[in-house]
Amino acid sequence: MRRLIASLALIAAPILIANQTFAADPPKPPAGAAAATAANAAPLHGMWLLTDYPSQTVRPGEVSTIRFKLQNAGIAPESLAVSVDGAPAGWKIDVMGNGQPIAAAMAPTNDSVALQLRVEVPKDAAPGSQNIVVHAKGATQSIALPMTLTIGKEVPAKIAIKTQLPSLIGTPKSSFDYTLSVTNESGKEMTMALAAQAPGNFQTTFTEGYGTNEISSLPIEAGASKDIKVKVRPPSDVKAGNYPVLVKVSGQGATAEQKVTLQISGQGQLSLTAKDGRLSGEAQVGKTSDYTLIVGNDGTAPIENVEMSGSVPSDWKVEFAPKAIQNVAPGEKREVKVSVTPSDKAIAGDYVASFRAGGRGDSKSADFRITVTTSTLWGMVGIGIIAIALLVLLGAVARFGRR
Amino acid sequence: MSENVIEARGLLKTYGEARAVDAIDLDIRRGEIFGLLGPNGAGKTTTILMMLGLTETSGGSVSVLGFDPVRQPLQVKRRVGYLPDAVGFYDHMTARENLIYTARLLDIPRRESNGRIMQALKSVALDDVADKRVATFSRGMRQRLGIAEIVMKKAEIAILDEPTSGLDPHATFELLEMIRGLKKAGVAVLLSSHLLDRVQSVCDRVALFNKGKIALMGTVVELANQVLGAGHPLLVEASGIDVAAALRGIEGVQQVLPAGEGAWRVVADRDVRAVVARNVVTAGGSLSRLSDLQPSLEEVYTHYFEGERHAA
Amino acid sequence: MQREGSPFTGIGPVFMKELSDHLTSIRMMVLTLFVIVFGAFPVASSLQTLRTVVSADAYLYLRIFTIEPQQVPISFISALNFIIPLMAIGLGFDSVNSEFNRRTLSRVLSQPIYRDALLLGKFLGGLMTLAVGLLALWLIVFGAGLLLLGIPPRGVEVARAFGFLVVAVFYGGVWLAIAMLFSVVFRSTATSALCALGLWLFFFILWPMIANALVLGFAPAEITSIDQYVGIQELAIALQRLSPGTLFSEALLGLLNPETRTLGFMLPTQMRGAIPNAPLPLDQSLLLIWPQVTGLIAGMIVVFSAAYVVFQREEVRA
Repeated sequence: MRRLIASLALIAAPILIANQTFAADPPKPPAGAAAATAANAAPLHGMWLLTDYPSQTVRPGEVSTIRFKLQNAGIAPESLAVSVDGAPAGWKIDVMGNGQPIAAAMAPTNDSVALQLRVEVPKDAAPGSQNIVVHAKGATQSIALPMTLTIGKEVPAKIAIKTQLPSLIGTPKSSFDYTLSVTNESGKEMTMALAAQAPGNFQTTFTEGYGTNEISSLPIEAGASKDIKVKVRPPSDVKAGNYPVLVKVSGQGATAEQKVTLQISGQGQLSLTAKDGRLSGEAQVGKTSDYTLIVGNDGTAPIENVEMSGSVPSDWKVEFAPKAIQNVAPGEKREVKVSVTPSDKAIAGDYVASFRAGGRGDSKSADFRITVTTSTLWGMVGIGIIAIALLVLLGAVARFGRR
Repeated sequence: MSENVIEARGLLKTYGEARAVDAIDLDIRRGEIFGLLGPNGAGKTTTILMMLGLTETSGGSVSVLGFDPVRQPLQVKRRVGYLPDAVGFYDHMTARENLIYTARLLDIPRRESNGRIMQALKSVALDDVADKRVATFSRGMRQRLGIAEIVMKKAEIAILDEPTSGLDPHATFELLEMIRGLKKAGVAVLLSSHLLDRVQSVCDRVALFNKGKIALMGTVVELANQVLGAGHPLLVEASGIDVAAALRGIEGVQQVLPAGEGAWRVVADRDVRAVVARNVVTAGGSLSRLSDLQPSLEEVYTHYFEGERHAA
Repeated sequence: MQREGSPFTGIGPVFMKELSDHLTSIRMMVLTLFVIVFGAFPVASSLQTLRTVVSADAYLYLRIFTIEPQQVPISFISALNFIIPLMAIGLGFDSVNSEFNRRTLSRVLSQPIYRDALLLGKFLGGLMTLAVGLLALWLIVFGAGLLLLGIPPRGVEVARAFGFLVVAVFYGGVWLAIAMLFSVVFRSTATSALCALGLWLFFFILWPMIANALVLGFAPAEITSIDQYVGIQELAIALQRLSPGTLFSEALLGLLNPETRTLGFMLPTQMRGAIPNAPLPLDQSLLLIWPQVTGLIAGMIVVFSAAYVVFQREEVRA
């Protein structure tokens, strides 16, 4: 087949180059192409009325819409009057096109026109099947489409909900995102109300699929399903444990529930402050000053292996006692002595020293403003020098004085 | 009267090898005017400074009003007034202000000082210029102001170094009067000078300095006798005869020297005026003047130092 | 051989007399005029500059002293650095030799006082005169600040500015002692004034150059280590500090610029971790400038002692 087309193209090429008008002439396809089409499918000419489901269910007291179409295959368009025969007494059946009642339809060549039957079934319609025929009549064509409408019982609304990951593990700081798939298993579109029952202070929000907008309800077409996302935020002080959240989807009397579970593992939260609350201190040049830091755990889980470290200006020394704390339980406060020794060559003034407590799961650092003061030793030396100078003067007075 | 206010024994001042004051002994009595005489550089000022404690002594002892100037200079200076050679005052201040400053240094109570200052200025006749700046003062006025300072100080001893140098005769006279006034007030005055004739008139006793030593000490008459060998020089003015011949041969007359036209100076060891007059008249001369000359320190001085020079 | 009585008997009258002499003298008026002319321009210009500054400055008043205005290329304190020695020399160059020349010395010393009291009284009188003059100047500056800036100074600023006053008096004291030393050594007031002014010019013009030349002489041809570099820098600073003016300006820098952390040479590593522009507390600033102040005070005492010894050994006799 390919080889054929290739060889045809080879033959056709000089012709295409020689006379371009051939290519620009669609009504008359080249002989080769016509041959190919003929070889593919049998040519079918005519007009048809088509519907997907020639036998349908309708319900008493309701209006049903039945879709069908007028198909034209390979013949000249023609206006066809459309009518319905065989409508039972009390039923109202209208032919609709584009939302309006119509009386005739015309399908272009090799195209179709969408049409609907609006079937109004009386409330007291007896059960059973009714046969109706849709006719389309024109000058040359006359087509009929027989259909069977069965009075059916109301299908109860039904919602299905399911999730792949009903249980998530996290810390109080994490956000728990559950993806639920909601299916409308009833015969018509429904608007679903979304609700979640969570323990106190838990925040729940719904979003649609991958969207970001918060929603509280969601329409779903009959038989269709949609993904919704439930985001649960536990309060940050929540204790470790399992917390169930019941997600409820309801609409038209139908309700579906899905339980999701938050497995909150708890989290430690370190705090680092000075004992007296002041994040500043004084230190003398070259001399060790001690400050007491408080390492606490404001979180919900113990923190292990809390190691103390500090970053201080160059040539300074910093030591912690203890250097590490094995375990800080929630709510516990531990004192840590930090010894800072400014460099011998440090210059008086304010410096920043950063202390850090780092454990498994959390770390915290605090900046200390350390005011370095110089030793008064040199002041004493200065006074000594002045005293010596005064002694020189007094010596001079003693030696040469009183003249 | 014979109480000594200043007693120096073997007072010595050396500058290296040189002896500026060479072991002098000196007594100054209360209420007398004592003159330190001698050429410049004889050691007068150094002696004075040692008495005031303004210069260290090199040896010997000195006692001023019973105090040792070496050990107790403040006590001495509180009681002794000093008028230095060519005394200076603060020119930009008035006479009164200068004295107020001194009074402050003397620690005289303010209440008292004003009266004392005015009194002192009056005593030297400067009270009418008390509030004039010293810059306008003449040299004599400055010296008087110096005397006023001593008066105000109520000093028991006044030490005046060359008080009359550079003064005109009138100012000198006034100043000497004031020095006499000090004496009258009972102040012992020690003054140094090289101007002998002026000092002579006020000094009770003098000491003649030479090369750091006291060559002579005593009253002027005593010194004249000692140096000139005669206490009674006469001036004879006569004409018509050879005076020298007429006087030669009078007992006691040692020398007859011509002293100008028709004038002779007669040196005798006793009062020979009556004999001289008789001899001149008997010789036929006309005696126009016969006066008893006071023994002159000038002569003593000149004579003495001539003698020294001859000896040397 | 111990003499009796306090060596400082009578120092009070001498002090008072010197003070009143100085304060009433035409010379002092001329010097004051000089200072006002030299000080008024920087102060007026810096006040003008400060008035246009809107940003909050915790040490606004101190900037009056230190700011270098655009119109006048000299700050108030550098003007003072230059002028105070001149004032001190003006007060001291003839204090002793004029007494000799006016022949008042022996008369005064014949009063019941020692020379000690005379010299010390004269020195303290001169120092007090300087202090009075500087205080007046200081008050004028503060008053002008109040008037033109419209806000009162803070206590810390007043304390620091007062420290400035004290340091300035000591600085003047050094030069007063120098001037008095010359006045004791030389009988001629002209010689004494010339020598004191010569020393002043030497320290202000020649010494910086000589110090640089000395450093260049000492420095090795090639600087191979940071220690060597630091050593040379420190030598240069040490040489400069032999000039009282350097000590004075460094002390004022520490006092009036609270942000000053060091007056010496500083390696960048020493500034690592430091909070920039954080002012030092007053006591730390005082500790910082204390060596400089010590130098000024001790220098003043030593120079005075020298003058004292020379004076005591001199003969009173004119």
